[in-house]
Amino acid sequence: MSRSQPTEVGDDADAESESFTGQGLPRVEDHRILTGKAEFIHDITPDNCLHMALVRSMHAHAEIESIETSEAKAHPDCELVLTAEDLKAEYNPMPTGIESVETEDGEADLFEWSLADEKARFVGEPVVAIVASNRYAAEDIADLVTVEYNSIDAVADGMAAREDDVVVHEHAGTNVVDHERIEFGDPSGAFDDADTVVEGDYSWGRISGVPLETAGVVARYDEDGDSFDIDCNIQLHTLVDNMIYETLGYGEDDVRVNVPADVGGSYGTKIGIHRYCCLAAMASQQLEQPVKFEEDRIENLQGGDMHCSDREYEMRMAVDDDGTIRGLEVWFVDDFGAYPRYPVNQVLKPLSVVTNSYDIEDVTYEYDLVLTNKTSQTAYRGFGVDPHIYALEMVVDKAAREIGMDPTEFRRRNMIQPEQMPYTLPSKNIYDSGDYPATLDRIQEIIDDERDGGLLDPEVVEAKREEGKYRGVQPSVIIEPGVSGSDWTDRQRSDRDALEDRDRDDVEELPEHLRATLEDDGTVTASLATDSSGQGHQTLVSQLLADELEILPSDIEVDYLDSIDAPTEYGSAASRMAVMLSGATVGLAEKFVANAKAVAADHWGVSGEDISYRDGALERIDTGDSLSLADLAAIDDADRRLTQVSYNYDHPATEFEEFDEAFSRKFPVYPTAAFGANAPIVEVDVETGEVDILTFHTVRDCGTMLNPMIVEGQAHGGIAQGIGASLLEEFGYEDDGQPQAITLFDYLLPSIENVPEIQMEHTETPSPYTETGAKGVGEGGMIDAPASIATSINAALEPLGIDEPADQIPVAPDHIRKNVRDLE
Amino acid sequence: MSTDSTDGTDGPVTEEITVTVNGEPVTAAVEPRLKLSDFLRYECDLNGVRVGCEHGVCGACTVQQDGRTVKSCLSYAVQADGAEIETVEGLDDDGSLHPIQEAFHETHALQCGFCTSGFVMATKELLEENPDPTREEIETGLADNICRCTGYQNIYEAVEHAAEKMEE
Repeated sequence: MSRSQPTEVGDDADAESESFTGQGLPRVEDHRILTGKAEFIHDITPDNCLHMALVRSMHAHAEIESIETSEAKAHPDCELVLTAEDLKAEYNPMPTGIESVETEDGEADLFEWSLADEKARFVGEPVVAIVASNRYAAEDIADLVTVEYNSIDAVADGMAAREDDVVVHEHAGTNVVDHERIEFGDPSGAFDDADTVVEGDYSWGRISGVPLETAGVVARYDEDGDSFDIDCNIQLHTLVDNMIYETLGYGEDDVRVNVPADVGGSYGTKIGIHRYCCLAAMASQQLEQPVKFEEDRIENLQGGDMHCSDREYEMRMAVDDDGTIRGLEVWFVDDFGAYPRYPVNQVLKPLSVVTNSYDIEDVTYEYDLVLTNKTSQTAYRGFGVDPHIYALEMVVDKAAREIGMDPTEFRRRNMIQPEQMPYTLPSKNIYDSGDYPATLDRIQEIIDDERDGGLLDPEVVEAKREEGKYRGVQPSVIIEPGVSGSDWTDRQRSDRDALEDRDRDDVEELPEHLRATLEDDGTVTASLATDSSGQGHQTLVSQLLADELEILPSDIEVDYLDSIDAPTEYGSAASRMAVMLSGATVGLAEKFVANAKAVAADHWGVSGEDISYRDGALERIDTGDSLSLADLAAIDDADRRLTQVSYNYDHPATEFEEFDEAFSRKFPVYPTAAFGANAPIVEVDVETGEVDILTFHTVRDCGTMLNPMIVEGQAHGGIAQGIGASLLEEFGYEDDGQPQAITLFDYLLPSIENVPEIQMEHTETPSPYTETGAKGVGEGGMIDAPASIATSINAALEPLGIDEPADQIPVAPDHIRKNVRDLE
Repeated sequence: MSTDSTDGTDGPVTEEITVTVNGEPVTAAVEPRLKLSDFLRYECDLNGVRVGCEHGVCGACTVQQDGRTVKSCLSYAVQADGAEIETVEGLDDDGSLHPIQEAFHETHALQCGFCTSGFVMATKELLEENPDPTREEIETGLADNICRCTGYQNIYEAVEHAAEKMEE
């Protein structure tokens, strides 16, 4: 078995190799980071810059009676005090994911102002913004503001919120702001006809990505141009910049959103930091001076608009006695917090993998999206798929036990077969390629090895049980949907009935832009229309483009476009970039070479067909004369700039008719299905309730690996986050809406002591749908690790007769202990 | 340390301190409440000192003070008066990387890189005290630093690789 090992190659890529793509080239991003020279957002402080601090609500639900700011304004360092009243005079509320709900009296808007207006709806909601000469002074002045609240009853539980005893937005009349029930096939027929119906309730606690770098923004208003320059670490700056310019009341070309080349982690979460961008921009406009905001960690954890999925599931599965799964019914509530922000479609993404690796035709999918007095949700790695896979694998386990079949055999019996590929799910997305049973077989072999003298050797397992330590493992094959790119993301703001017969031509697609400029010295600068937060996009593009242009990666610089210069709207999310950038690179290079030939043809006075391009040089075929790229740059007419080219790569699924139904009906389209199987060997201490993962085996397939080192890094990181989610992390709340985890002493991120050795193997099944055969790979570990850990904990404690000890995530020690105590 | 009382002016009370930062003496008048991390970032322009939590958990701000690692967000600049501070900027030699930095690069032990300065400084102390650590000793030595991207797998590799390089 091969252990996970970084590929050892030097910085100067191995020019003898046929291609750079596929090699684990060390990253071009690293040098500036390692020497401390990388410029993150918090490192940007322009001359004359002022600093913002926020006064935040201490109440989960309260009417704001009065705001007393005179003492604050009198402070010598105070430059500005802003309240909702000031904002409402000049600006707009922030756009939300669900704009309004229908009531008996008509539409009720779900406005969210950047500062709480009349009512505070969660602990940590910003109420007043203070600007001062430095951050210390701004925080001093914030303490001088007195806000009088009338605290009212709060609701902090998603299931309870459905009762509407406390309504978070009173005028809406309900907390359930979105609901959908979708049936695929004939689920009621399947459930009526099946031998057994199995039911299970599962809970997924509130977690998030918690990047080490908090949110930050530096906003500058330019009076002459009546425009804004905003540096910030928002994710998807080309897509969600509307959150900022619409709030400010400006057009998109008046608000330049720029993200530094280095962002200290995001994992989806920083999509939701626009409140800070808006407030800093407003303050900068009022003061005509740059204004900076650095979020602190407590603000980030408590009220930073950055929590993610918070779900209660009720799963039903129809099963025949021979082990055939007949039908699946998924019902859940997702607690979105106080405002239904942009990523409301997280509740829909699970449709892209609705039956995971199982062949089930008849499915019901139903959810309630509810609001409570908690900070709002943003995106997080997995985008709502992780809880779905967890709940599904839990009920699969339960069904196997109820019909008395080995859970691995039960899974194998229902698995999608390689000859069914490409496989269309009932929910209309398509799995591109893969041999799932072979992956299950391989992980089972690894487990069998552990049973033969390893960590699961029967004698060892027995001896450990004497000490109260129970070991176990239960694998499954789990799919990672990759590469989103169309307007299904606004399904919840669409007339859903009209989608049933929408025309395919009406689908809005989201291509990815890439640009290349030939520099005077013959090097090439590529420009990305995305932002990055550690994924190595600069390395990837230099590798890919070097192959296409037949030059060295070190001859390619990669930089970033801001929101105005970037013509396209998507970027880095949904495990998109490896696939989208590899497609874009091929198209871009073709255009570049064609233009280079045209310049050379003009120079030599011959036809383009008389010229060949090879190894970064042009050759006139009849005479053998040649031009280097530097020569070409000197020749290329400054007016024509033929050697500056750009290319928009269409989403790969748009080429294939089999995706048309999903596209036109606004079901999530994710045309790559990376997959894997995990075997975390867990040891549960029944005395303390603690779970120790002794080692973590994983067998993974993401199609063609463009940079295996980066692929493995993504898997390691995702698995570590999955371990945190399943065992350590949770944003708990008291019934009155007070948050329990507002420091990193309460919200436990996995340290090096919590993450075991990850033993990884790969298979490579290329995707038939993508340019290079690569599949999206950014989210897999976070999607598959929690489910695998939960089923393994169930397996470990099965000898004690505990029914589903892992029925809630995180599986905290007190929950295990409660199960053990109930047994006693 | 001398106290520069600013009675009669609106400015805050400051104290003059002298700290040797990466080999160079720096003298500055600072407020007593100024965190060492903010002193290094804003007074010394050493942005390699990263600030991730400001309450001593994440370790991104780890620097060496008189040869021992400290979390610079948990102490005040005035407490470093007279001390020698080394930050990640002090490690590379005119652009060439320190063996620990090289090892992190070659083993892909960083992704977003926000924690990296702290891990490099913690690794430096670990290897100075124990040039050939076991995996368990690496775990103990780096347990005060959080990385959210790498899952730590390649950080083990980096420390072992750095140990080999430094032995040569």
